[in-house]
Amino acid sequence: MNEKELAIAARIKEMLSENLRIPAEELDYDIPLFGDGIGLDSVDSLEIIACIDSEYGVAMTGVAKENFYNITSLTKYVVENM
Amino acid sequence: MSNNINARCVVTGLGMINAIGKNVDECWENALKGTPGIDKVRSVNSDACYAHLGAEVKDSDIEMNDKVDRVSMLCLQASKEALKDAGITDANVDADRMGVIMGSCVGGVVSIENYIEKGEKTEDINKMSIASIANHVANMAGAKGVVTNIGNACAASTMSVAYACELIRAGVGDVFIAGGADAFASVPFAGFTALHALSENACSPFNKSNGITLGEGAGAIIVESYEHALKRGAHIYCDVLSAGISSDAHHITAPRPDGIGQMYAIRRALDKSGVDKKDLDYINAHGTGTAKNDEAEFLSIHTIFDDNNDHLSVSSTKAMVGHCLGAAGAIEAVYAIKALTDNKVPPTIGYTAEDLEALKEKAGKIDFMPNDMKEKEMNYVMSNSFAFGGSNASIIFAKNEGKMSESETDEDIYITGLGIVTPVGNGVENYIEKVKNSEKISSNNLVSELGKEDFDKFDIKLAFYRKLDKLSTMQVVSGIEAINNSGFTFNDDNAEDFGMIIGTGDGPITTVYEFQDHISKEGTQNGSAFNFPNTVYNAAGGYLSIKTGMRGYNVTITNGNQSGLASICYAANEIKQNRTVAMLASGTDENSDVMNKLYTQLGLVGTSKSDLYADGNGMNLSDGSVTLALEKASQADSHNAKKYAKIAGYAMTHEGVEYGTVEGSDAGLLKAVEEACKDAGITADKIDAVFGFGNGIKEVDAIEKNVYAKVFGKEMPVINVKDYVGEARAAAAALSAAHAALTLSGELGDTQDAYFINGNNVRKDKVNTAGFNYVLATSYGVGGSYSAVVLARA
Repeated sequence: MNEKELAIAARIKEMLSENLRIPAEELDYDIPLFGDGIGLDSVDSLEIIACIDSEYGVAMTGVAKENFYNITSLTKYVVENM
Repeated sequence: MSNNINARCVVTGLGMINAIGKNVDECWENALKGTPGIDKVRSVNSDACYAHLGAEVKDSDIEMNDKVDRVSMLCLQASKEALKDAGITDANVDADRMGVIMGSCVGGVVSIENYIEKGEKTEDINKMSIASIANHVANMAGAKGVVTNIGNACAASTMSVAYACELIRAGVGDVFIAGGADAFASVPFAGFTALHALSENACSPFNKSNGITLGEGAGAIIVESYEHALKRGAHIYCDVLSAGISSDAHHITAPRPDGIGQMYAIRRALDKSGVDKKDLDYINAHGTGTAKNDEAEFLSIHTIFDDNNDHLSVSSTKAMVGHCLGAAGAIEAVYAIKALTDNKVPPTIGYTAEDLEALKEKAGKIDFMPNDMKEKEMNYVMSNSFAFGGSNASIIFAKNEGKMSESETDEDIYITGLGIVTPVGNGVENYIEKVKNSEKISSNNLVSELGKEDFDKFDIKLAFYRKLDKLSTMQVVSGIEAINNSGFTFNDDNAEDFGMIIGTGDGPITTVYEFQDHISKEGTQNGSAFNFPNTVYNAAGGYLSIKTGMRGYNVTITNGNQSGLASICYAANEIKQNRTVAMLASGTDENSDVMNKLYTQLGLVGTSKSDLYADGNGMNLSDGSVTLALEKASQADSHNAKKYAKIAGYAMTHEGVEYGTVEGSDAGLLKAVEEACKDAGITADKIDAVFGFGNGIKEVDAIEKNVYAKVFGKEMPVINVKDYVGEARAAAAALSAAHAALTLSGELGDTQDAYFINGNNVRKDKVNTAGFNYVLATSYGVGGSYSAVVLARA
């Protein structure tokens, strides 16, 4: 990741930790957020969408699931759609 | 007096207010005409939201009263109408045998918004909680029997009608005002916006099913024992037969897609009411208009009635009055009763010609009542309510006397397990050690802490616990500890036989306050989808059922501190009336910066660590969760459970004083103690000690001193758990009973610290507990509600 991507990834991690009560130490950028990883669900994805929208103005409603796979994929989507 | 599990309970009065009318007649006529009550919302700023509709009551339709929250205004208005309709007067009802059970989802949340946005006024604080609602109604009606509120979100007021009937059949009352209310407010609007669960257009249940439209209102039903109604020559609308109450144990917001929980509730209601599937005439469905609800309810209704009923009508009046949340069950019960007694089925509006074609394919033989009412002769109708937390309730009304088949057990009920979360540590062993070592609290403003160690101990994973707010976390931990401590087990086949009653004084007010604070700053469009599910009072019980798989009776009651003792009375009744074989009974309340600020502003928190029964410095604000596992004897014996104590008797009373105060309500405690002893079959002189509720607030301590002098007429040893854990409110009330049970079972040794109280004379000394046979646990709620439980050596 370049500097800009690293900054976005760090901010997304911070939001996940603060808003979804995931301990920061559990969150590296590649751990799967849904399913067997952190175990997020559809309500959590609404919160992620709302956070990314308010922070970056990027709308992720209806966006394909793979973009929510981990912090890296969320970061990539945000960078490409800012 | 009934005291017969299948005694007839009848409806003798109705009251209702919603978006299409200010009384039953208006609401009913407009429903039959298919009048939509849905319009652009006025009371909530929806400018930046994707949906803008709501079904609000016109302000001009409401009897305004600035002393109470809008939710209580609505509830009082419907209750007054119902009382008048029933012809209830002081002269024809014994106040001691009249109770009030009200349901609500968000309670006085408008007052939380007002507090935050309009200068943090003290007068708004006592309007915030659901607890105030039934108190206001009881004071208006002069009711002095069982008074409480049910906080099971959108199923709350179906449960309140069911509970009222259970209490009449238990013989503890003749007449109940049962129902519920909710006011239109920013918190639910923002929450359902965040969940994308609001429809952009008027909701369209069983049709487009693309979301709900919120509404507001109240429904009130006078339920009465048949003998009592007959004696006073009351007009009888119909009989209330049985109900089915269950928990999905699946998800905090979404219903089980397989409909198992809903179907259990529906089938139980039919079965115990003695109503054959083929004879049910109409269902007022939950029918919210969300895809998940409508699909699950469609499945449930089709599965049960297809091939078994060729004339069933199903409609959702929410298409006209919106989803009134905690009021929905009561409003829809009134609609179902009117349908039954007038032989007219109200429609579900909003179907286009195209929709009608689509409906034909999915309706089968069931008439989903698109657009137009119809007349048909009816004998049995049902009302369904399903809620966040996986709460399900289904109830049946009959035109004539039914053939109910509920049953009772005369087996003894025992406390067989305990779970304890407190600011001085968690776990039963820790508490026993603290008491044995006389380790009292030394500071005020105490907070329980739960960490990874507690979660690991009970195998609670991060993916689960991170969702929970503090209230729910404490509840889940104390609940699981009580199950483990008791050692009862259940499986997929009998999970419906195990239930829980959660008592909470303040519920999730911290979470609601923080949610409101956030949207006050960031806008209604920016509510948190993550936090919203925790704003309902039954979230804690919902999570506990999800974690444990308990699918039986699951109700959250809220009426002050005594909710933690009233939960034991309620749970014991469920076992006695054979709805379950084992129950958890909990008291849970949270301390936080928010709660501390509110209680301090009310002047109730001590300026330093306070002594009890002393100078009245104020309470030592605290929190926690305490759960008792209750089992009937045969169930306890089936797994050789340890019996800490027997529940020998209990009583719940009310002596109404201004909500937020207690002074002048002594008679309520006196009656609770007398009635609990009577229920236990003993006289008060058999009581060896009291596990009391004094908390350092002058007026509260004084009531105990006065009343025990009257009842016992001698110096009485009073043991108070608040010395050990602080004023943990409902958790302290449940802990009083838990501590009493530990005392009777010998776990706490032969002597304990006690207050010896004889009126205003109070001395501290050791009390020898070895010879105790009967002890009494008591608790109070502001507004004048009391619970008392007699425990006997097992």
